Amino acid sequence: MTISTSFGVGVLVAAAAAVAMTSRPMAAWISEPLQEQQTDVKLSLVGAGTQPRVGLPDFTADAGDAELADATKTLVEVLWKDLDFEREYYLIPRTASASIPVVADPASLPFARWKDLGADYVIVGVVHRNGVNLDIEFRMVGVKDEDAGKEKFSWHYGGTGCAIKNVRFCAHYISDDFHKKTRGLDGVARTKIAFASDRDASRMTGRLIQNAGSGKEIYIADYDGANQLPVTANRNLNVAPVWSPDARDLAYTSWVSGFMDIYVRSLYDARPPTRPAGVDNNIENNLAAWSPDGSKLAFASTRSGDWDIWVVNRDGTNLHNITNYPRGTDNAPVWSPTGAQIAFTSDRTGSNQIYVIGADGVGLRQLTFGCQGCDRPTWSPLNVIAYTAGAGPGHDIYALDLATNKTIQVTDGQGSNESPTFAPNGRHVAFVTTRWGKEQVAVIAINGRKDTLQRITEAGNNRYPNWSRTPGQ
Amino acid sequence: MLRAHIVVISLAALAVAGGCATKKPPVNQPTTQVPAPSAFPGAAGSTTGGAAAPTERPPAPPPVPDSGSVSADPLANKTPEQINSDSPLRPVFFAFDSDELDDSARSALDGNAQVLKHYGTWMISIEGHCDERGTAEYNLALGDRRALAARNYLISLGIGGNRIRTVSYGKEFPFDPGHTEASWANNRRAQFMVTSK
Repeated sequence: MTISTSFGVGVLVAAAAAVAMTSRPMAAWISEPLQEQQTDVKLSLVGAGTQPRVGLPDFTADAGDAELADATKTLVEVLWKDLDFEREYYLIPRTASASIPVVADPASLPFARWKDLGADYVIVGVVHRNGVNLDIEFRMVGVKDEDAGKEKFSWHYGGTGCAIKNVRFCAHYISDDFHKKTRGLDGVARTKIAFASDRDASRMTGRLIQNAGSGKEIYIADYDGANQLPVTANRNLNVAPVWSPDARDLAYTSWVSGFMDIYVRSLYDARPPTRPAGVDNNIENNLAAWSPDGSKLAFASTRSGDWDIWVVNRDGTNLHNITNYPRGTDNAPVWSPTGAQIAFTSDRTGSNQIYVIGADGVGLRQLTFGCQGCDRPTWSPLNVIAYTAGAGPGHDIYALDLATNKTIQVTDGQGSNESPTFAPNGRHVAFVTTRWGKEQVAVIAINGRKDTLQRITEAGNNRYPNWSRTPGQ
Repeated sequence: MLRAHIVVISLAALAVAGGCATKKPPVNQPTTQVPAPSAFPGAAGSTTGGAAAPTERPPAPPPVPDSGSVSADPLANKTPEQINSDSPLRPVFFAFDSDELDDSARSALDGNAQVLKHYGTWMISIEGHCDERGTAEYNLALGDRRALAARNYLISLGIGGNRIRTVSYGKEFPFDPGHTEASWANNRRAQFMVTSK
């Protein structure tokens, strides 16, 4: 299947418009709380030693409204996965609680039944239609002992961010809000993952080739793999997308002009892409990384005659070489959370190792020694650097905690695992794996727990994931 | 088909002149002719309206009648696309994780330099490619080093650097889809594309 240029762009603009629409009413989105108990919820939940066990049964929707019933069902299913993802709560499987009667009034919850399932809390939701939007009364009620029947959290969600047609986003919003208010956690349910895919197997057009390969286009998806949309549709090779910190722009490498160069493209307006690394067909620029404040890009470039790490303002000014090493290949830069440093790979000692250098080009430090096949560092806000390593044929994801200098293996050796990218809260990485045959994007908790592994992509080969720093707009 | 035979003969002559032969399979293979590059679709409303459907390669022009002129160069009337589909410029191959030119690579490049001296107006692009081992990011850099090594050698043989661009495709476009050492060896290559003449 091929995708026409006009189709791809049309989908993107439509998606951007839809996303932009949901962003506007944010301020008005959350109504006043139904009750005031939410203020002491933080105290009772944050800092608990073990995960509270939470039941999330079906929500009650206005009767006789099939569309509302469908949206409510999706809302609860997505919300269950969102809350389960961060592991702040143990979510009781919905199959286990399916036989417990659903109630709209928390006072009439069958507490004994929930207690049998070990629940500490049960979430009770009541959903009304408000035009094309949902209006959700959301309560969490205690189950055990002196907590039984006590409302621990209550909130009222609604507005255009909870459109019936976009109910997944509403669930993501509730999850992030609930995590923030009850656990102080910045959840990632509204974030997105960009990647490159050959799923449309478009023949390349811009290359005078002997053996035309299939090109790759840039795609974006919700963090859970839903809503996969093409961003580029140039039927060429496009790889290594990276989100701007505000998630409004993507920088990526494209061969659309016949050589490797970095393009910056807005997802929200119709400006043509810019090429801040400079346009010179004798120079290859690759693997862009945004500074945390969004003002600069670091990237690998052959501008000096060999691969070095360069930094440029996003408007193309102040281009300068920060590694400036006369031999070897410096590659795959990533900024530290504060923007003060840049990690990158270099083979200057003979094999690829990970180094850190000040963003001003001073203070070079070697981080790994004797690492085989080291590549693609990603730096979390918790000061952990994850990277690819392995003597081959396969690779695995490793994580180095800079505070303790301890390294753990994150992936389990199944297939080859490459190109990690941290979730913005540092709890998960997305990466590329061949464990299911072709190259697919997957997500796993940084502690490597196997039951946290989730497959994000299905079709074609998918490479170069990058996780947005902030929620999509 | 007559023209194709002429090309093959002429290539063989060039290869002999270059004093080289290779055991590697030729990288050239028939392809569907692709439409002209479209503008980068940077914005809605500024696209070219979608790329045209692929078209078949145009039929070869009828043979030029030999009216007693000296030698009819079989490549003279060909477009770069036609030349690239059956190119006199031979690929060079590399060892695993290496951008060094061995004897056979230099020999192939010696032949390519002869071709480029003969066709002094040809501009070329050298594509660097890698096998599937190693990470995608690493191979994008390695492919460029391979293309650059080939370029530097051609320059040392007197070919103008302004005629030679390089581009890396990393491991994105394997010539051979297999997963054996033989396949990998075919994929660790620099290919030579005529971009204008």
